[in-house]
Amino acid sequence: MSDKKVLVVDDEIHIVHVVAIKLRNNGYEVVSADNGADAFELACEAKPDVIVTDFQMPIMSGLELVEKLRQCESTKNIPVIMLTARNFAISQQQQKDLMIMQCLSKPFSPRELLGHIEDVLHSKEVSKQNL
Amino acid sequence: MKLGRNTYTTPLRGASLRSTSAIVTAIVAGGLFIAGLVTWRYSGVAAAGRSWCGVVYISAYFAGAVGVIWLCWFWLKLARTITFMTEALKSEKPLFVGSSTNSLINELSEVINGRIESYSNLLERLQKQVKDLQIQVQLSRRQKGNTEAIIYSLHDAVIVIDEFDRLLMANEAAGKLFNFDFINSQFKPIDSLIVPDKQEFVDFLRQSRQSEVEATRHEIEFLQDERLKVLDCIISCVYDDRQQVCGVAAVLHDITREKEIQRMKSDFVSHVSHELKTPLASITACSEMLMDGEAEDEETKIQFYSVIQNQAKRLNRLIEDILNISRIESGLIRIEKSPTSLTIIIEEQLQMIKSYAEEKEIEIITQTPIIHDVVYADKDMISQVIVNLLSNAVKYTPRGGSVRIDTLVDETSGVAQVTVSDTGVGIPKDEIEHVFDKFYRVSANSNQAKGTGLGLNLVKQIIEKVHKGRVFVISEPNVGSTFGFELPLAASHAVEAV
Repeated sequence: MSDKKVLVVDDEIHIVHVVAIKLRNNGYEVVSADNGADAFELACEAKPDVIVTDFQMPIMSGLELVEKLRQCESTKNIPVIMLTARNFAISQQQQKDLMIMQCLSKPFSPRELLGHIEDVLHSKEVSKQNL
Repeated sequence: MKLGRNTYTTPLRGASLRSTSAIVTAIVAGGLFIAGLVTWRYSGVAAAGRSWCGVVYISAYFAGAVGVIWLCWFWLKLARTITFMTEALKSEKPLFVGSSTNSLINELSEVINGRIESYSNLLERLQKQVKDLQIQVQLSRRQKGNTEAIIYSLHDAVIVIDEFDRLLMANEAAGKLFNFDFINSQFKPIDSLIVPDKQEFVDFLRQSRQSEVEATRHEIEFLQDERLKVLDCIISCVYDDRQQVCGVAAVLHDITREKEIQRMKSDFVSHVSHELKTPLASITACSEMLMDGEAEDEETKIQFYSVIQNQAKRLNRLIEDILNISRIESGLIRIEKSPTSLTIIIEEQLQMIKSYAEEKEIEIITQTPIIHDVVYADKDMISQVIVNLLSNAVKYTPRGGSVRIDTLVDETSGVAQVTVSDTGVGIPKDEIEHVFDKFYRVSANSNQAKGTGLGLNLVKQIIEKVHKGRVFVISEPNVGSTFGFELPLAASHAVEAV
């Protein structure tokens, strides 16, 4: 069982619900938001270990959220996994510049998403230990 | 035939001399003959007494003989001349030159007539050539007129410049595009006629002329009346007889609208793929969770099944929307009109939108049902119109807002009106006229909610194209919008065969 916290952001309530169940079943603590602006506030408060966010959302998009996260001292190092229904929505360069660890195309597999979250957290642990 | 001085004067002079000598000879011979005869007549009397008479007699006799011979020779020559002339006349050949002044005049007349004839022929040919040239000039003028008429009537801008970059020709569209008057601008340098922010075009003209490439194509963008214009510019070199570039001709086709449509289509594909993938993502995720046994209790399982079912319906609705628009546009949709109560349709559709509104904590306000609100319409289509308007209102209204639906009946004009008002984000004034356009999404609101830009277009097609009604919208940014439609009441509507 893991004690890690994951922030799930999507305006599609069903997606949030499914991902949350999958993560909770695997020992993760889950917090959620349905737009980028609320997600940023939650990220500042809850300090999640990883953020899973949709790309296109009302009020503030996933990309705008990541840009904002990278500008804030307390959130700039939180790894992000992006879900997108639009192919080529984010360029490789953008992904690299904004430290987006993974981009998953919709429809996605919750199993696959869980695997990516575990990989990201593992890499983070390794980096910490090396420091 | 050469007209030379020697050719005519020499034979004439020779002929004259010969005839003079013949006459003199004849006179001398005649004189001597007469003298001989006289001497012979009187010599017998005188000779008896004098010796000198014998000498005279012999001399006279000799002279007479010579005279006779000369006379014969003269007559012989005369006869030959007459024979020659007769033969010449018979053969229609000209008489020997210089025979007389008349023959000279005749000969000269012939020469002159020959000359006149040849000059007449030459003149005739020249006149024919002049006529041909005049016809060609007329044809060229007509062709030039036709070409100019075509060029001037073109919507595309056409500009022709010479090798010194001076304006040779421009049509009205070019004048409008670059804001100059052609009549007053002809032969002026092109860069003095085109404002600096459009100088990119002048650079392309120069480059094309200098490169001497037959034709080049460029896409030019510039601001006009504060709107971005995109022009497809084809520049062709104009060559002279020596195949040297003596100017360039440019045709500028406005592709702003095409670009906009292209962008809208691209956006549409992007939106549609997003809209299709989103419910598909929920279906895929829920089914995988069920297969993996992640739904631990019965309630969670039912939730997943419900998500799959609802998202499948959503997917179907989207596909139906796209197909319906396509069918209405192509005229292939099956329309089944019948007297239909608007209140009943509204009630049914409110049930469908209820859960969505509750999710967003949006209050739906309805009025007391109206009894006489029966319209002659296709029930399924009007249901789609109402659900589209209601779901749009909920979609663009922030959490905690309200959506109100009203029906008004004007029995005098025989019209029923349905309006859906919200307390949503509203629409900027400059975008209101486009909200019913296919694929159009209000740019300021596209982040507020997802959509394909098809819903309102479908509303317009159903109301205006299928039911001959009217759609309208009133909106104020940050206050709210009211979308509505009007349909003829069934009582005032003649039943028509569908």
